[in-house]
Amino acid sequence: MAGLELLSDQGYRVDGRRAGELRKIQARMGVFAQADGSAYIEQGNTKALAVVYGPHEIRGSRARALPDRALVNCQYSSATFSTGERKRRPHGDRKSCEMGLQLRQTFEAAILTQLHPRSQIDIYVLQADGGTYAACVNAATLAVLDAGIPMRDFVCACSAGFVDGTALADLSHVEEAAGGPQLALALLPASGQIALLEMDARLHEDHLERVLEAAAQAARDVHTLLDRVVRQHVREASILLGD
Amino acid sequence: MLQKREKVLLLRTFQGRTLRIVREHYLRPCVPCHSPLCPQPAACSHDGKLLSSDVTHYVIPDWKVVQDYLEILEFPELKGIIFMQTACQAVQHQRGRRQYNKLRNLLKDARHDCILFANEFQQCCYLPRERGESMEKWQTRSIYNAAVWYYHHCQDRMPIVMVTEDEEAIQQYGSETEGVFVITFKNYLDNFWPDLKAAHELCDSILQSRRERENESQESHGKEYPEHLPLEVLEAGIKSGRYIQGILNVNKHRAQIEAFVRLQGASSKDSDLVSDILIHGMKARNRSIHGDVVVVELLPKNEWKGRTVALCENDCDDKASGESPSEPMPTGRVVGILQKNWRDYVVTFPSKEEVQSQGKNAQKILVTPWDYRIPKIRISTQQAETLQDFRVVVRIDSWESTSVYPNGHFVRVLGRIGDLEGEIATILVENSISVIPFSEAQMCEMPVNTPESPWKVSPEEEQKRKDLRKSHLVFSIDPKGCEDVDDTLSVRTLNNGNLELGVHIADVTHFVAPNSYIDIEARTRATTYYLADRRYDMLPSVLSADLCSLLGGVDRYAVSIMWELDKASYEIKKVWSNKTLADSLDNANDPHDPIVNRLLRSMATQAMSNALYFSTGSCAEEEFHHYGLALDKYTHFTSPIRRYSDIVVHRLLMAAISKDKKMEIKGNLFSNKDLEELCRHINNRNQAAQHSQKQSTELFQCMYFKDKDPATEERCISDGVIYSIRTNGVLLFIPRFGIKGAAYLKNKDGLVISCGPDSCSEWKPGSLQRFQNKITSTTTDGESVTFHLFDHVTVRISIQASRCHSDTIRLEIISNKPYKIPNTELIHQSSPLLKSELVKEVTKSVEEAQLAQEVKVNIIQEEYQEYRQTKGRSLYTLLEEIRDLALLDVSNNYGI
Repeated sequence: MAGLELLSDQGYRVDGRRAGELRKIQARMGVFAQADGSAYIEQGNTKALAVVYGPHEIRGSRARALPDRALVNCQYSSATFSTGERKRRPHGDRKSCEMGLQLRQTFEAAILTQLHPRSQIDIYVLQADGGTYAACVNAATLAVLDAGIPMRDFVCACSAGFVDGTALADLSHVEEAAGGPQLALALLPASGQIALLEMDARLHEDHLERVLEAAAQAARDVHTLLDRVVRQHVREASILLGD
Repeated sequence: MLQKREKVLLLRTFQGRTLRIVREHYLRPCVPCHSPLCPQPAACSHDGKLLSSDVTHYVIPDWKVVQDYLEILEFPELKGIIFMQTACQAVQHQRGRRQYNKLRNLLKDARHDCILFANEFQQCCYLPRERGESMEKWQTRSIYNAAVWYYHHCQDRMPIVMVTEDEEAIQQYGSETEGVFVITFKNYLDNFWPDLKAAHELCDSILQSRRERENESQESHGKEYPEHLPLEVLEAGIKSGRYIQGILNVNKHRAQIEAFVRLQGASSKDSDLVSDILIHGMKARNRSIHGDVVVVELLPKNEWKGRTVALCENDCDDKASGESPSEPMPTGRVVGILQKNWRDYVVTFPSKEEVQSQGKNAQKILVTPWDYRIPKIRISTQQAETLQDFRVVVRIDSWESTSVYPNGHFVRVLGRIGDLEGEIATILVENSISVIPFSEAQMCEMPVNTPESPWKVSPEEEQKRKDLRKSHLVFSIDPKGCEDVDDTLSVRTLNNGNLELGVHIADVTHFVAPNSYIDIEARTRATTYYLADRRYDMLPSVLSADLCSLLGGVDRYAVSIMWELDKASYEIKKVWSNKTLADSLDNANDPHDPIVNRLLRSMATQAMSNALYFSTGSCAEEEFHHYGLALDKYTHFTSPIRRYSDIVVHRLLMAAISKDKKMEIKGNLFSNKDLEELCRHINNRNQAAQHSQKQSTELFQCMYFKDKDPATEERCISDGVIYSIRTNGVLLFIPRFGIKGAAYLKNKDGLVISCGPDSCSEWKPGSLQRFQNKITSTTTDGESVTFHLFDHVTVRISIQASRCHSDTIRLEIISNKPYKIPNTELIHQSSPLLKSELVKEVTKSVEEAQLAQEVKVNIIQEEYQEYRQTKGRSLYTLLEEIRDLALLDVSNNYGI
């Protein structure tokens, strides 16, 4: 059997999308009543749930408190049933620590931390099918918005890859597993500032700009969708309040 | 809007567990249908090629038909073919990369009227596979459903024929939709293409070979060869250094026994092997064929063998075994094949007597390929008797481990054995050169230049270009009567006293638009092929011999390069020189013997490896140098009429110029990856061109000597120079005819040559002794004769005829004294060529000489064809012309 053809000569990807097309995105805010803010997002078959508590006083050691700004605490964990083969992942393994750290960096850049002394974000991923980081960021953005914590802008994230001279937006699991270069980008769409950019494969310098542009365009598309979700949510909430 | 569906796949893992995989699948309302009948061309957003509009029906092959009959679907006569994505994927998954790439190239090729319809991404065409439905049934159902949709999409205006091998499908769907017919492939060919004989024959032969294979797999014989290892094991083995990857090269002279594996890429770096790896015997070669990329395992050191250095002919079995082989060298065996490079092979069917000796199994016939390096191929056909006297093209289908020989099928007939046209066609096929005449679509893109409507310089171009018609005197250095003049020169003194030197090259790229039909055709051909008596042009003659030829007295477009040279110091500013090579050659010379000088030169250039094209993006800058010319960087662009590489360089130059001028750059330049691919292709074609040229020259030499009786004919006896010494013979060069060949000092019965007092040779029992630059033959009665390197001897030329292969020239030493010239012919031919001229010719270009010869040779050939005259003096002059070619033959590096 010949190897999988990630991008056909006609310009179709394995799942029928074209190079710049996103997977189907569905999102909902305020899924949990207990938490201060929460959101659920589906990007293709990747499903993420984000919950935000805070701002509240520092829990545990008081020494961690920062005098001038809030502390953003992120936790990432994936459910044992989120992958094709059921696998138990002990709490605090390398992968989830790294992911937590990345999320923290992303949101420290976006949240106006100096306004609030303390805050905590916890993120749980239910099913992983590629683009986990992007789904987490998008879910967390909605959750933070739901909690009413002031942010500079939405943080919209998307991944991008590079196959046969073409940049592909929003990689699925099959495309990630094929082993090509993969880039994750978190963008503040209004200002175009980059909150986080990560890539851990070799990619020729000449191609970087194109891949980056593909990821940025995809992130802007994500922003349009998230914005629609937020407006919808606010409209529903205001009806409930009786305005 | 895209619609999302989910596909659930159940896969079996290597451990045998089932794995459930969920994949997304997006459907869209509009998928390009590539049909000119499309009612909503805007929505379908066609890009790339469309089906032609002058077909009577569209044909949609089923997945099985695409898998098995792709060769027939490749016929350019079959038009309006729609390949469904489902069928393409079936090929990809079940037939492997080679077949799939063939299909992809077919789809990309603008000359073939076929398209791909992505039916699985169309929301109306996509059918999810039902529970319990077999893969095959689902594929057929999907393709039929897509065919019906396509029919309705074209508003029922074009009937559609779906061809399938599935009888059930024909019954089920045959009369379901009006306008969509479902028939078998055989039926389709019979009804729609009754006149396409070649396709019918190919179809029969494919069917038959498939039946054979099925029968064979049922009978389980004892294994003839070990099984190949699976791909994962090979890859892991190569990585760990246990196995070595390389290209198999069969020794032409000992095809049964010796093959070498040339190391490839990374594996040669980390292993400490310096030489190639010897593969000894057919068993160790394990079903790999010359040119395959194979994986080799080294044998333990005590099993290593040496290569044979004695001269030997193919048919001698193990006669040479008595002689001691050279030092043992790394020896290995093939454990797997990474890439099969099977191509079309020219074969000869055995003659009637041989067929009878092959016994009762007359259905399967062993045919002998023209190329010695290819093993015999087993063909099953009933036409064996009628095909006996012909050269035939076959293809290899498979080589099972249970079979000694590979199985193949018959494709087409080339011509009679021994017939000039047939033999030339053989040479072309063997070098994979396709020279079908230019098609109508291609010629349509060409400008017209006839006496009725002469071609004129267009006013727009006249404004854009610099006019050199009045200001410069442009002259050509090609000989008079040359047809395709692609470069000319000019020189003049400027007002400030400096010299202006100009080189003007035909502007072919003006006429050949990137990715036009003619461009694609030229890219495939890559070069103009020069055979001994004819040439096959890369571009149609309206360009190559007319509009792009810088002829005298007519207006032409050109690309010019000017240098301004300081009048005092212009010598220093010379653009380039080939000094180093010229010096080293000039030092090696023998003042008394001009022929030896020439030999030395040709050998010196032969020793240097041929220069190759490469893309600058894929090599480090230090590797750019050109060895033969001793330059750091080198490219050429002086012959765009007959070299595609020069067209590429022209386009790059044009892009560079327009970039300077801030003009828009056209997006038609190649990327590095494409260029690399193209360079590989051009290098391969150049090699094919050189081989075919050499082989056709040899063909003519053989035909010249064929009907001469070596015992009586004066011309068969000539002077020869020894240029290399082997253990049982010497290699000779015959300056009179430009022939190189081997002569034995020891014959098959073990007798050695001896020369009596009258210096005539005879065979006597004795022994040979080889030294570094001489060889001595001593007979048992004490006579001895010694041959030194560069000695002149008298040889008799005869022809060894061969039915299955090309004829070869045989040389026999009849005297150890130089041949006395009986007439004045030799005086004329040995007029010494100036050294500098020769060096220039070798290193720079041989094309001008070739072109001049081309013209003369053509005339002679015509005479010969027309009057059927004996090839007397006229052919002698022909060989005279070829002589220089033979000297430079494959060694010439084509000016690059």
